[in-house]
Formats: sequence, structure tokens, C-alpha cells
Amino acid sequence: MSHQRYPSHDPVKEPHSVSLKVLRLSRPSLVTQYPIDPPQSVGATIKPGPAPASLAYRSKADTNPSPFLLSPIVNLPVSFGSAYVGETFSCTLCANNDLTPEATKNIRDVRIEAEMKTPGLGAVQRLELSPPGTVGASDADLDSGGTLQKVVAFDLKEEGNHVLAVTVSYYEATETSGRTRTFRKLYQFICKASLIVRTKVGAINAETQGKRRWVLEAQLENCSEDVVQLEKVVLDVEEGLNYRDCNWEASGSAKPVLHPGEVEQVCFVLEDKTDEPTVEVTPDGRIIFGSLGIGWRGDMGNRGFLSTGKLGTRVQR
Amino acid sequence: MSDPPGTPGKEHSRNKSVTKDQGPLLKGHSMPTSTPSSLIHPEAHLHLTHPSDPLIAARQAAAQAAQQTPPHRSRISSPPARSSVTSPISQLGEARAKDFSFLLRPEIYHPLTPLNVPVAFRNSSKQPSPEAPLEELLANGHFRAAAIAAVQELTGSGANGSIDPTDSNKIFGLLYTRLACLTLIDSTPLAAQEVKALEDLNDIRTYVDETTGEHLVPWELRVLNVRLQALGFGDPRRAVMSYHDLAREARDNIAKASAQHDNSGRELWKARLHDLGIQVAGALIEMDDLTGAAHHLSTLRDRGDGKMALAKALLWLHLGNAESARACAQKGVGEGQDAEKIILALCDMADADYESALERWKGLRETTDDEMVGVNMGVCLLYLGRIHEGREILEGLVDSGLSSHTLLFNLSTMYELCTEKNRNMKLKLTERAAAMETSAGGWEKTNADFKL
Repeated sequence: MSHQRYPSHDPVKEPHSVSLKVLRLSRPSLVTQYPIDPPQSVGATIKPGPAPASLAYRSKADTNPSPFLLSPIVNLPVSFGSAYVGETFSCTLCANNDLTPEATKNIRDVRIEAEMKTPGLGAVQRLELSPPGTVGASDADLDSGGTLQKVVAFDLKEEGNHVLAVTVSYYEATETSGRTRTFRKLYQFICKASLIVRTKVGAINAETQGKRRWVLEAQLENCSEDVVQLEKVVLDVEEGLNYRDCNWEASGSAKPVLHPGEVEQVCFVLEDKTDEPTVEVTPDGRIIFGSLGIGWRGDMGNRGFLSTGKLGTRVQR
Repeated sequence: MSDPPGTPGKEHSRNKSVTKDQGPLLKGHSMPTSTPSSLIHPEAHLHLTHPSDPLIAARQAAAQAAQQTPPHRSRISSPPARSSVTSPISQLGEARAKDFSFLLRPEIYHPLTPLNVPVAFRNSSKQPSPEAPLEELLANGHFRAAAIAAVQELTGSGANGSIDPTDSNKIFGLLYTRLACLTLIDSTPLAAQEVKALEDLNDIRTYVDETTGEHLVPWELRVLNVRLQALGFGDPRRAVMSYHDLAREARDNIAKASAQHDNSGRELWKARLHDLGIQVAGALIEMDDLTGAAHHLSTLRDRGDGKMALAKALLWLHLGNAESARACAQKGVGEGQDAEKIILALCDMADADYESALERWKGLRETTDDEMVGVNMGVCLLYLGRIHEGREILEGLVDSGLSSHTLLFNLSTMYELCTEKNRNMKLKLTERAAAMETSAGGWEKTNADFKL
């Protein structure tokens, strides 16, 4: 997250006893390894096992697919990375009692609240925290070095500036008195477009009588910086229309893999359900088909899904 | 791949790396500059599949490569035949030992700084004495010291005085030790620079003994050289080519050993060939050609130990396709093998079902003594909002004497989440790791391992 600000909501000019630390929880990543033959074994007449230090981890159970590059041990996310429309943004929030064990203060009733400010209309959405706190439980009272951890998730739907606002409040008790203290931290990040969708509609056999048919084509361009594999493309059609998928599922081919900048073209054939068209026509003479939904997965299974606005075409008169 | 015609973006990006082949750095290296398309285009793999032959593609590659090879190019193939027919020097009776003094120049080798090593290691009584012999350094996992000692011997700046520039066994043994140790102390970029001094290992005039026809460079160094030169010259496609070249040689050696009823020799070369096949997949992954790598893996022989299924599943997961990864668990794994449970647990993590993954890791942990299972379980717990438990597990692994990069990195990340004063905790962790017994598994760590 690019920026952090610390606006003070607290009249007390004393350092807080509780700190807040956050980590974006993208998927964990598989650790790479480069197994090599041990230097001592050069010239040996039987193939030695890999040098233990060149493996990603130690095992007595022979679980390592050495000499393969990828190993099954996972790393926590190294950096924030990029946030894309269609993905779920997940983040962990840790409120920590940073007092030394000798400190005379007690920290009780720590609460974390989180909100997401999205670019559209300046709306603020309250985020649900998991695991949910149990009412009246003492897990919100933190001993020295103790941590209250929560996880938030948010579906990214808009491009632009997002701000995760986290408010931490706690009761700081001394032997004689106590007070409630609050602070708020803001984490700003940019959400970028992941897929560009371009669509085109053409009528088939416009002159003939009976069911009208159209072909809907779409180009899906990966404009993110990551490799993705398309999972599904579906049409959510309006009442009175049928559609046929003409893509990888129909042909039984592998799901397309899109490297950054690559384009996949998909196609659907739509038609009236019955000979008598029942689909509504808008006052400006357009017929609405419905929206196109695209699902994909990225590194280590990270999911993305987005749907277009309503697609349609001008009715042939 | 089902990309329809008319998607220019796709073609463009796939061909991007071609231009790199023409870089000036490659002069003096007789690698073919145009890679056979069969190695790169996944579609072209189709006709190469052969169930019993792990690297049959190599033959075709070699054939194609040979066609594209300029006539003056020197290649090694079937050395004995060559030595009897085409080594004019030995026929003239002038066979002389090769001079490798060009590898003994001190300016090739970089100084290694101890500055990225935490103080707890630098000041430890476990640091080896400067006189410790190389074998001892390697046996105790002192790879930085071993890398330095190897260069001191190579350049004659050590206690043993200068080295005979024709003693190829000694020189290449030391050079392999140097480069291998650099990769073990996270100094692979340095190794990738230093390896350039070898130039073209396929140059028979430099590297092949004229009397015996044997390649003077040990196999281990030739294999390591492939990855390091690809890195050093910034051309990952070169690695795919070079592994195929080596595979062709391994195949010849299998045939030769079989003809001579040399069983141990045949097993050695078969094992080497098998490894090369998997290394090609790794090289393709590093080129980001994940579908190509998946296809390549599917052409390799499965030994039935669950490892091939695990490798395939990991590749699918890397690409994000949990469904195909699960299929690998069902198809390629024998009854009760851990590989199946590992794959399914990772698939649950890919589906963000950390509860279910946690149960699977727990089950595995009861039957398997494995650092990976513990670390992955700890990671799962963090995703579930149970960082305390996760941290406890990782601390327990450190207490039991484990210290992989991943374990230390993940634990340091948890420290960062748990307090503003995480630096002290990381420093304490360096002390704990430095207090561990030395072993061939490595001992000294770097600051990066602790996120310091």
C-alpha cells in the first residue's frame, strides 16, 4: 500500500500502547528451488542425491519433487503487489500490545474496525472482520506482546484510488484509573483494470423469417502484469433469448492462458427462444441481450471475475 | 491452446525474446541463435510425445539444430568415434594437456562480502578457521567460506601455492565448488557473472581431451553451467537448448553403457537424463512458458513414486488451475502416498479454503516428519486469523533445528505483524539459527532470510 497517514483522533500526546500492523493476503506462493549435485560428489559413479542446502526445505519423508523447480512449501506474500478489478482484496490486521512486560498499564477491550473508501461517489463501506469476536470473551484483552488478529476481504469492482481505513480502540487501564484511546490508520492503494473487454454484435440471416439470430463476439485482453488462465465465459441473457457457447468448453480444448497483453477472442450465438419474439425492445430501438461474465484464475489460484454492462444491438427494421 | 487467428498480442509476446538472441554478448558462443520451434511452441510438442522416452524431443531438437548450425561449428557427439576419425592433432602425435590458465585469473572472481550476514553468525565460534580444508567446509555447510577457499586455490593465493593449469580435474572441481556454493548463499547473480569465463563448453578444442575424446569438464559443472550462463547472458531460451544438447549426450552414453553391459554406468546416465528432462520444464517455467512446461512434463516418464504427479500439480497450481492439479492427485499418485494429500491441501489453499487445507496439513503432520508440512500449516493458520498458533508452530520448527529460508522468512513476517519492535525478535531469531549445529545442510544465513 503506497501511502500511510496517521491523522490523530486522540487528544493525548502520548505514544499509543497498541500498534497496528497489516499485510495484504494475496495467495501464498510456491517456493522455487534449484537442486544441484553436492560439490563433494563430483566424479562419483552413482548419481548422488541433491545437496540438502539446495532444496527448499528439509524432509525425512521424501516429499520434495526435486530436481523440479517448484516445491510444495509456500511463502507468505512478499509485497503488496498490484490490485486488479475483479479480484478479492484480502488483508490481515493485527493490533498488538507493544508495552514491555514491566509496564504498569493493562490493555483491555481492543477493537478493530475497518472501512473501504472506493473511488465511485466517495462511498464508504464497512468491512466484516473474521474470525468474528465472541461477545464478552477476553480475547480482546491483550497481555504484553499479545496480538489481536483479524482478516478482511473486499471485492474490487472499480478502478482507481481505494483507501482502507482501520480504526483501533482500546481501554488503557492503570492501577488507579483508565481511559479509552483510539487511533486510525489509512492505507491507500490503486486498483487497476485487469481485463479489457471489447464486444461486437452481428446479425445472422437478417432477411429470413422466424427466429432472429445474432453472433456476439468479444475480445478479452489481459492488461494486468500477471499470467492468467481463463476459467469461464458465460452470458447472463435476458428472458426470451437462448445462447450457445462457441468457445473452449464447446470445443473441448484447454482453458486459454493469457500472458500480459495477450488477447483471447470468444464468441456466442444468440437467438430468440420462439418464432414470436418476446424480447423487449427499448424505446430507442435497441434489443438487450444481457451481460457477459468472465472468470479467471491467476498465480496460485487467485480468483477474478467481472461482468460487463448490458450488451445489445439495434433492432433491424 | 485455443487462441483463434487474429490475436496479434499473443504472437507478439511469445516472440519477444527472439531479439535477445542477437545480443552482442553471445558472440564467441556457438549456440544456435534460432531455437527450433518445437521446443518453444506447445502446439508443436504434440507430435513429439513418446511414452517410454523421456527426452525424445531432444533428438529432434538436435536434428533441427544441426541443420541450422553453421558448418564451422564444433560440436561434441559420440566422442570415441570422433577421436579415432576426426582429431587430427592426436594423429599427429602432438596431444598436449589442455591449458586452463584462463580460468585461474583472479579478476574473474568477485570478493564476497560478509556484510549481508547477520552479526550472530559472523561472530559465532562456529565460524570455520581460515586454514580449514575445503572438504571440511563443505561437510559443515560453510558455503561462503568454501566459495572463498575454492577461489584462493584456483588463483594460487591460498596456502597451497599455485595450481597446475593443466590439472583439469582439480580446476573444474574447484570451479564447480565455487559456483555451486555461490548459488547456495544467495549469490547466484555473482555465479552467473563468473560462469561467463568458461565461455562455450561445447568448444571441443578447449574442453575435449584429444586422446580419449572425453569431455574434461565434469557433468555436474556442465549442467550447472547451463542455468548460470542463461542467467548471465540474460537469455533463458538458451537453457532449454543446452539441456537438450546435454540430454542427447546422456542418451549416447546410455546406449554406449548398454552395449558394454555396464549396468552402473547405464543407471547413472539414465538418472542424469531423467533429471535433465525435469530441468527443461523448470527452464520453461522461468521463461513463463507455463503451458509449454506442462506439456513437456506430460511427455516425461513417471517413475510411479508420486513425484511426477506432484511436479505436474505444482505447475498447475502455479498457473492457478486447481482443477487440473486435483486431477494429477487422482491419476498419478499411488495408494497412500503423501503426494496426494499434499496436492489436495495446496489445492484447498488455492481455492482459499484454508479451513479444509488446515485439516489436511494437520493429518499429514501426524504421519510425516516434514518441514514443509509444518510451515504450510503455520501459513494456513495466519490466513485464518490464528497467527498465534501459526507462530507457535514455526517457532517449534526452529526449536527442532530447522532453518530453511522459507521457514525463517515466514516467521520473520509473522514477527513483523506481531509488534512494532520486530527487529529485536528477528535478531533473536538470528541468534537461535546461529546456535544451531553446523551440517552439510548449511548453517550461515543472510540478512534477507530474516527480513533484516
